[in-house]
Amino acid sequence: MATGEQSAQRSQARLDVSLLKEIAKKDLVDALNGVNGAKTLVLDASLAGPLGLVIEVSLLKQHGVDKMFWLESGALTSTTTNIVYLCRPVIKHMKIIADQVKRHAKESRKHIYTLLLVPRLSTLVSRILEEEGVLGDITISSYNLQFIPLDDDIISLEHENAFKEIWVDGDETVIFESSQALLTLQRLYGPFPQIVGKGDYANKLAKLLTRSTSKATNASASDAVLSSTTSIDSLIILDRRVDIITPLLTQLTYEGLVDELIGIKNSHVELPISLLTPPAPSSSNPSTSAVTTAPVISVKKDAKKKHHLTTSTDPLFAELRDLNFSSVGRKLNNVARRLDDDYKTNLQAKTVAQLRDFVGKLGGLQTEHQSLRLHTELSELLLPLTRTEEFNRSLEIQQNLLASYEVTAQITSIEDMIAQGAEMQTIIRLLCLASLTAGGIKAKSLENIKREMLQAYGYNFMPLFLFLAAPPLAILLPSSLPASTPPAVTSLKYPFASLRKSLRLLIDDNPEALDEVENDISFVYSGYAPISIRLIQCVAQKGGVLSNPAEKEKSMNDAPAQQNLSIGKVQAHPIVGWKGFEDVMAAIPGETVEILQTHPEAAVSGLPTPSSTTAFREQTTTSVVFFLGGCTYTEIAALRWVARQNRGRNFLIATTDIISGRGLVDGIAFVDRPATRRTTES
Amino acid sequence: MTEHPTATWQAMQDGNAFYRRQQLYSIPGKLPDFGEYIVAGCQYGGPLALMRDNTKLLALGHLTSATAKAQIQIYSPAGESLLSFRWDQGKIIKFGWTRDERLTVLNEEGIYRLYDLQGDYQQHSLGPEASELGIIDARIHDNGFVAMTSSLALLEVKGWEGGRPLTLANPALTQPPHAWCIIPPDLNVSRHVEVLLSVESTIYTVDNLESVDQRLSRGPFTHVSPSPNGKLLALLTFSGTLWVVSSDFQRNIAEFEASGVPEAEGSVLQVEWCGNDAIAVAWKFLVLLVGPSGDTLQYAYSGTPFAVTEMDGVRIMSPDICDLLQKVPASTLSIFRPGSTSPSAILYDAWESFSSRSPKADESIRSIRPDLAKAVDECIDAAGQQWEPQWQQKLLNAAKFGRGFLDFHNPTDFVNMGQTLKVLNAVRFYEVGIPLTYSEHNYASPSHLISRLTSRNLHLLALRISSFLSLKPDTVLKHWACAKILRSRPTSTGVGKDSELTADDEVCKLIVDKFEQLGGTEVSYAEIAKKAWEVGRSGLATKLLDHESRASDQVPLLLTMKEDKLALLKAVDSGDTDLVYHVLLHLHKRLPLGSFFRLIEDGGERLSPASKLLEVYAREQNREMLRDFYYSDDRRVESAVLSLEEASKMNNPASKISSVKAAQKFFSEDKDHTFEAKMMEESARLLTTQQQLDSETDGKIAFFGSSVNETIRLCLVNNMAKRADKIKSDFKVPDKRFWHIKLKALTEAKAFGELETFSKSKRSPIGYEPFVRHLVEKGHPKEAVVYIARCDSPKRADLYVECGEWRLAGKECKDRGDKAKLEQLRRKCPNSMIERELDQILSTMK
Repeated sequence: MATGEQSAQRSQARLDVSLLKEIAKKDLVDALNGVNGAKTLVLDASLAGPLGLVIEVSLLKQHGVDKMFWLESGALTSTTTNIVYLCRPVIKHMKIIADQVKRHAKESRKHIYTLLLVPRLSTLVSRILEEEGVLGDITISSYNLQFIPLDDDIISLEHENAFKEIWVDGDETVIFESSQALLTLQRLYGPFPQIVGKGDYANKLAKLLTRSTSKATNASASDAVLSSTTSIDSLIILDRRVDIITPLLTQLTYEGLVDELIGIKNSHVELPISLLTPPAPSSSNPSTSAVTTAPVISVKKDAKKKHHLTTSTDPLFAELRDLNFSSVGRKLNNVARRLDDDYKTNLQAKTVAQLRDFVGKLGGLQTEHQSLRLHTELSELLLPLTRTEEFNRSLEIQQNLLASYEVTAQITSIEDMIAQGAEMQTIIRLLCLASLTAGGIKAKSLENIKREMLQAYGYNFMPLFLFLAAPPLAILLPSSLPASTPPAVTSLKYPFASLRKSLRLLIDDNPEALDEVENDISFVYSGYAPISIRLIQCVAQKGGVLSNPAEKEKSMNDAPAQQNLSIGKVQAHPIVGWKGFEDVMAAIPGETVEILQTHPEAAVSGLPTPSSTTAFREQTTTSVVFFLGGCTYTEIAALRWVARQNRGRNFLIATTDIISGRGLVDGIAFVDRPATRRTTES
Repeated sequence: MTEHPTATWQAMQDGNAFYRRQQLYSIPGKLPDFGEYIVAGCQYGGPLALMRDNTKLLALGHLTSATAKAQIQIYSPAGESLLSFRWDQGKIIKFGWTRDERLTVLNEEGIYRLYDLQGDYQQHSLGPEASELGIIDARIHDNGFVAMTSSLALLEVKGWEGGRPLTLANPALTQPPHAWCIIPPDLNVSRHVEVLLSVESTIYTVDNLESVDQRLSRGPFTHVSPSPNGKLLALLTFSGTLWVVSSDFQRNIAEFEASGVPEAEGSVLQVEWCGNDAIAVAWKFLVLLVGPSGDTLQYAYSGTPFAVTEMDGVRIMSPDICDLLQKVPASTLSIFRPGSTSPSAILYDAWESFSSRSPKADESIRSIRPDLAKAVDECIDAAGQQWEPQWQQKLLNAAKFGRGFLDFHNPTDFVNMGQTLKVLNAVRFYEVGIPLTYSEHNYASPSHLISRLTSRNLHLLALRISSFLSLKPDTVLKHWACAKILRSRPTSTGVGKDSELTADDEVCKLIVDKFEQLGGTEVSYAEIAKKAWEVGRSGLATKLLDHESRASDQVPLLLTMKEDKLALLKAVDSGDTDLVYHVLLHLHKRLPLGSFFRLIEDGGERLSPASKLLEVYAREQNREMLRDFYYSDDRRVESAVLSLEEASKMNNPASKISSVKAAQKFFSEDKDHTFEAKMMEESARLLTTQQQLDSETDGKIAFFGSSVNETIRLCLVNNMAKRADKIKSDFKVPDKRFWHIKLKALTEAKAFGELETFSKSKRSPIGYEPFVRHLVEKGHPKEAVVYIARCDSPKRADLYVECGEWRLAGKECKDRGDKAKLEQLRRKCPNSMIERELDQILSTMK
């Protein structure tokens, strides 16, 4: 595997997203400096994670933050006159703030309150504060936190529960915020010459974008800062309803499994402290340590600690994260052996010069050693969890449902799992999957299962079923809908069976096809290709949908090793919308978006328009993929795989947040996600 | 031929620094004597505001109606009267100018108004507290002001949008300061306003955090005045010593005895800065310029002068003249200084020779060849510093002449200077009366100048200047349109509505046409429409609003115009949820609830995002309203869900049950939701049962609110097997699930005997493997062994191994004759003892 080389190749001509981090950092510092003197910062806990990715506590201290508290109900004692609240415009938070302000007034303590709203001012907030009678005491301003870079190819709004807000509550705030963030992206990196998308909400977002863009271009001629050096050839918007199946499945890549089984939040995973404290000798060298402590010091004393999963301090993670879990062990083994060799050869150093060389490398080796240790133990932690009956049973049901194999038997299996007391989230995921793949579950058995679930998990889950069945979500339906069903529901029926064929979703599990699994995005689900990524291939790698590009090449080239070299790669074709897949698009519910944004200045400055393909061939372009409603780690892994197959195209993955099926169900069911989960139970 | 530039120069005593007195306008008799008035001057060549000073005596004969009542008059520097208005509010404390030439007038009740030059005003207040205490003084700067209340506390207002005043640190004064001033935020290192108070012999510096005593001993001071860049302070003591220090009081700059000036008459009226390096001290009939090293220049005036500090000089207004005192700029000095031999002076000389056809020109040019580029630049710069167009022309010509001898010279500066001077000369014309200096114009930007012109209703000039400087015409057009609407009241009021309508159409068309013709495509129609609405022409406003493309501008006005439905539609279409909230919350406040709901419901699909947002808001903040909303729209399912949500938050058993029952009722009213209704009936029944259980166990075990499974488990764990069975049959719990629950419960209770009895009670519907697995998982492998014999035979060996019973596993293999399996076991076995045992078994097999 030439991963190092690949990443080097990938990184050229990549958009520099760290810019976004700098902007976010600077904006916060400016906002804090707007308040003179020492201040107490009260932080919305849901923002702590995202903020931790852009700013360090030490920097906050430098800018006058004296103490930091969580925004929690109850009294707030502050030693400084200035109190700065930093939170999202959520009604719940406003009530807490109002309460604290009123308490202070009662105790006749004088404070100056500033409220920084993320990402923008809100009429709603002013209204609530007015209703609570404290509007006059608080200065309200905003802190525009938009995309946060999680890695050099992923940026996220880190807006939790975006999916639920859009598809259950009908609150489209996220869509508007996304459009604002994408506009910022356009301002920084140049316009999107083409917008391609699928889904009703994707369409809404695209419309918002084009409308604002046309206005913006009128207002001021192009002020794109960096458009000359790198160029974006398209924006692909997929809303989550277009492929709701993928997150329902159990992710089988390394990072995906960590998320499924332990939980990753804002790129941080909570691990037992023993895993993170390096053995004594290496702790003498903390600067090279791969362990970064969580940015906000955890309030509770716990035997667990947050660990930032990042490739910048942990190069091994870059190699591991996108692998199917089955090959992680082999990889770790290889690395261990290589490391061992490195130590050995270096220990044989004879001359002083050799010794100096060795000492120089020691730091690097230790870092690698440590991350090897971390990931080995982490996989050991995962392994027993993947051996439980519940895990394997649910995998089996998933695979069978995807293949539409004995659907009735699968329903019975699900019933059995309920009887055994499997987790509610798992059951809901399987049920929705069954409904989507089979075009609904028989009304009788659906009712029976619902009844079983209500008895097993509590009647308070009744609303959950109603939400899942109601449009625009409608992912858990009986196979024969009553006549009174609104047409909105019937039109949302998902044509899975035909998609399976037209998008080549399943790669057979027979030994011959195994190779193909390795050479297709389906590796992320051990044989199933996520629809979302297939759709992106429909736009950006049309050949990859119908047959495997890597495969073909192998047959052409006798030396298989060459397929990893960039010279052997196919030049990416220019983006021409959904061309060639119009019928597939028509079959999937939701609007299809194809917009050419013509910019007057594009013609002047010679930006590549789709027609000028000759110019296109020479340069590397970036396609921005935006997942409205979140994406999974497997989808990221698959998209990275797609990017590796072609020359001349990078993907920048933008999303509202990173999701897992479990988080989705929790969100819809109003289950508060506990900070630590699962690991204690099993 | 106007006089030579040096004619107005005067040298300081040391002979190095020259100051010039540039007469800007001669205005005999246009202005009253400032001695009887309170005056406020605006920087950047802005107008003067005058109000009669009531503390001054007045000869009875002069008493007119104008002087009897508070009246503020505004004059341009050229003495033209721009505006005069009556003040009918409480006593005026202070007035001053904002950056954009609006007059701020603050009264003792803490109310302040911002008057533009057309007499329109906006009114804001410092709040009830300030109005109760009363305001006794204030200092106004470009972008805000600081007011002093009667309790001697300081209130700061930032910006002119009516922001809430911030209380600055309390300096704990016992009596008003002798003198005070502020350093505006943009001139401070901290970027926050700083107040300097002269108290007793010292000065307090106060900002929003602290009040610091500077521990001076030379006070008290009668005048405290900061330099235009905020770095220096000029202080005048009671004894008449002018003292200049750095604004952090760390460095002494200069000192001067102002009391010793023989020509001075009466007390010092003003201490103002002339640029950043000289100070103008004004007495009646006299202005004294004090240079950096204490040297002075005297200027006599016929009446009481009034000095306005400018960036690069000081403007002196007196009843018959308007002057600019200024240090002679370096470039001008270099060219015109008597006996100057600088390259620029020679270049100018050469050009003069050239125009008088003297061959000396060539010689001169040759002599400065290496420095020619610099000389050209200096001539261009000097042109900008000249007031007289004639001299500007001469200097530019000299520069042009010099340029001819250069191979490469960037013409941008030259062209820009020409353009700028053309503009400056136009606005300096006495009818316009904006004596803006070149450096001020550069600092304040051309667009600022444009807005100043429009505020004087000089639209044509503004438009011409903007097109001359290729600026967008938007701001001018917008202002013009507003003014147009104001002026073009429907001509004949008698003819009725029709004439008004046609007049509206006419005006609207006129405005839109003008915009299209002049390319003002981005003018916000909303703002113009607002103006129209404010003057009572709602028809015109609606028409104009149709042309607005930005919803965020459109919607608020539509709301004020009570175009509710349209406002809501536009807000929803914009996709901006905050805008939708804005409309919703506004309407909710204004409309009766019924019509509010009807408005949203009638909107149907198009307004559904709004209805969803209302639900999100109401779910958190106003459930009562949400209930009514669902009820009024017959949305049974939503009503039921709402009831359930409430039930889940309740702790009181009775109310919880009634909420669930309410949900059941809602469901049962909808024929598609009979299943849900049935489930709710079950739920209520369960809760009742649990309530009973709770009371039976005296509340020791918390049954209430748990699921059916959990209830059964709790019964089993607590030795209430009978009740568990009863619940099973009551709720028709299938055997499979019940067996799993019971298995887990009994394992948890470590009731292994009972578990075994239970396992034998009938044939297990779930088989016996779960027994083994669960017991092993919970750490009871010994107890698990008994069940293995009842499992499927192929699995037994492995199950034995899981229980750690290798020998039994071996035996099982032997019984089944499965040699391969046995060998496999042998390979995996953990120690040699077991290995030997397995070997033994293996050996007995064939």
